[in-house]
Amino acid sequence: MFVSNALFANEVNVFSARHYDSDVQLYEKFTAKTGIKVNVVSGKDKALQKRIKEEGKDSKADIYITADAGRLGAFQAEGMFQKGASSAAIKKVVPAIFRSPYWVGIAKRARIIYYNPKTVNPSWNMSYEDLADPKYKGRVVIRKSSNIYNQSLVASLIKNNGEKKTAAWAKGMVNNFARKPTGNDRAQILAVAAGEADWAVANTYYLALMLSGSKGAEQQAAAKKVKPFFPNQDGRGTHMNISGGGILKHAPNKANAVKLLEFLLTPEAQQHIVNNTFEYPMIPGVKANKLIAQFGLDFKQDLKTKVSNYGKLQAKALKVMNEAGW
Amino acid sequence: MSNRINFWLIFSFLVPLLVAIPIVTVFLSFFETTGNYFDLLKDTLLLRYVSNSFILLSGVLFLTFVFGVIAAYFVSFYNFPGVNFFKWALILSFAVPAYIYAYSLVAFFENYGTAFTILTFFFGEGDYNKYIPKFDGLIGSIFSISFSLFGYVYVLTRASFIFQSHNLIEVGKNLGLSTKENFFKIILPSARPAIVVGLSLVAMETLSDFGTVDFFSISTLTTAIYNAWISFDDLATANQLSLVLLLFVLLLFIIENLSRKGAKYHQNSKGNKAIPKINLKGSISFFASFFCFTLFFCSFVFPVSQMTYWTIKFPKYFQDIDFWSLNINTILLVFLSSIFLITFSFMSNYGNRVSKSKLISYLSTFSISGYALPGIILAVAFITFISWFSDLLSSVFAFGGFKNVFIGSTLGLVIAYFVRFFSLSFNGIKSGYSKINNSIDENAYLLGYSKLKTFTNIHLPYLKTNILLVGVLIALEIIKELPITLILRPFNFETFATKAYSYAAQDLLEAAAFPSLCLIIWASVFILLISKYILSEK
Repeated sequence: MFVSNALFANEVNVFSARHYDSDVQLYEKFTAKTGIKVNVVSGKDKALQKRIKEEGKDSKADIYITADAGRLGAFQAEGMFQKGASSAAIKKVVPAIFRSPYWVGIAKRARIIYYNPKTVNPSWNMSYEDLADPKYKGRVVIRKSSNIYNQSLVASLIKNNGEKKTAAWAKGMVNNFARKPTGNDRAQILAVAAGEADWAVANTYYLALMLSGSKGAEQQAAAKKVKPFFPNQDGRGTHMNISGGGILKHAPNKANAVKLLEFLLTPEAQQHIVNNTFEYPMIPGVKANKLIAQFGLDFKQDLKTKVSNYGKLQAKALKVMNEAGW
Repeated sequence: MSNRINFWLIFSFLVPLLVAIPIVTVFLSFFETTGNYFDLLKDTLLLRYVSNSFILLSGVLFLTFVFGVIAAYFVSFYNFPGVNFFKWALILSFAVPAYIYAYSLVAFFENYGTAFTILTFFFGEGDYNKYIPKFDGLIGSIFSISFSLFGYVYVLTRASFIFQSHNLIEVGKNLGLSTKENFFKIILPSARPAIVVGLSLVAMETLSDFGTVDFFSISTLTTAIYNAWISFDDLATANQLSLVLLLFVLLLFIIENLSRKGAKYHQNSKGNKAIPKINLKGSISFFASFFCFTLFFCSFVFPVSQMTYWTIKFPKYFQDIDFWSLNINTILLVFLSSIFLITFSFMSNYGNRVSKSKLISYLSTFSISGYALPGIILAVAFITFISWFSDLLSSVFAFGGFKNVFIGSTLGLVIAYFVRFFSLSFNGIKSGYSKINNSIDENAYLLGYSKLKTFTNIHLPYLKTNILLVGVLIALEIIKELPITLILRPFNFETFATKAYSYAAQDLLEAAAFPSLCLIIWASVFILLISKYILSEK
């Protein structure tokens, strides 16, 4: 009975390391539109991957969704995705750099610099590399090296500047730390607001989340004391990362999985995502939420460093940071 | 008759086997490939992980010892304002899981957090952030875990004080000791076995903690195993680290078991008469009240207030929560697991009793080791084992496999909980059994009772209280359980713990407040249900 149910059920099963409630609301919209039920298990990224791998061909999971391109790339390298994520419809709208035959980006975020406009003023061409300058000693905050966003950022530095230079950069960063790395990205921004540091590195959506008032009036006021800055405008551009998904090798409902991914990349779904998570839209014609748009949308994005490099170089990035005492 | 003995024998073999599966899996996964994690680890990280674990453990043991023993000492021997309230209010700390405590701690003390809001409210705008202490990282983990676990030391130490055969205060007086000398020379040593049992429980829970240290991104041995195994697929390293951790825990187990024997010796109370308490006066009395109040406030009132404040301040997160399904899921898991665990604990204990075999007794001891394995490692080991076994059987017998029956199903969750909490359940029933004299069984047989009838008509009624106690302890653990549920749960299945976790993971601690609060309320109800037995003075 269970087997026949599974065979005829019109459903798609999602394993997601993204925990947003708004994603679930989006799946409900998809169900209303197509009649395809979306089942979800969310959890920690690596644990979910382990479960998918061990379940093997018995796995019911169709789509795996996670934040960070490096994770998608690494999972692809293990042969866990099948081709088909980038359907013809998706290829039409998603830039080539943010997709592969095995996975596709659903939303973008930039990892940028934040500063205290009362104490410092970055020149227009300031870069991530500049943060290691000894003149900022004791004025920089960033979260721990174990954080995947940091690993991807440092992986992109290794790709562009080489391992040796990046190792020296990491040492410089550690020398400039205002405190031992602690807390999440929002805590770094708050540290600048509170005057603990002049510079922070964090993802874009955290500031928007605070500005939205979802975290209360005090944090909203604090967020206004901090300015976002998009680095490396003189060179390769600001470090971009994605949330994305791919269709799993043993997906029992592949056709539905493709439909869901295509749906997530429609203007309607994209608008829902950017308004709830404050990420950047993946497709043209959709406006970023005004809280994000006010930071400026015409900054130069790093479209040169392929996001697939992040996965390949993350282990090296972690090593470089650890050796620097990050 | 001999048939039945065989049944108990077989059964007594099966349970330890089941429980041993995850441990054996962790050690036998040598056939998989080795990754590059170990190089990284040995150069830079291993020392940090071990030292983090060590600092965490020492800090937690120190604080739980101080909190638990002093509180137990005051409420057991003295009368002071509020003593009858604090006596049970202090065990409410069991209702707050360490990871939820961590959420509260960060929310309150972070820059522009709740403390900042309060100061602004009373004193107007100001630059308060730099005066607010920050509790994150290792310090935050130590506080979170200590406040949520000191109850073990408190309850056990208090029981040990209450069951003393003599009034220790009187003894000290007769010997001409000062209050201080009396505390260190007589009272503390008398409760040593109980304190050690409490501390070793605390130590095991601390070493296996994942939710708290993960939230604070502190790398410990447990997170190192998780990383080695899951992030880097480096099983050789994971195994070596697990070995270190398990040796650690094994040591604790031995200490605990030896102390339990000692504890029994001391609980030879005569007459069951409550010892008269001494009335405290003046500043000492104030200090006792103040100490207990602070402990109660920090361990329970503080996290509950923080969560309540958020729930009220951000009502929009209410609507996103499917309140009834969370309740139903929680009750379902508690109900199924308790029945399963209690039934099997009974059968194991009874098997031990009737067979009197040394081997079975050793096996039972082994079967309680599931508690020593951190939940997250256990869950992954469970998945690995089921997959391996299913693949093996399907390749030999050519059938479809049974992974989906166990992975991502309620049944799988219940089995994993079983492995994790069998120790709790088995020991709870065992402590009841040890009070039933063997001669009662002999007499029953003489009267023509079968083994089964002895079990149902004599043992079961006698152990009613133990069943209730064990059932509630299981309920508490399962309501609070996070890592196993997170990895093994079916599609669209949430508990209060997973819901709170997922909000915390998207940096919406405000939204995590409501499920956290529900979790604490459920747990508190269960605690109040058994407080009478935990705090019994007879």
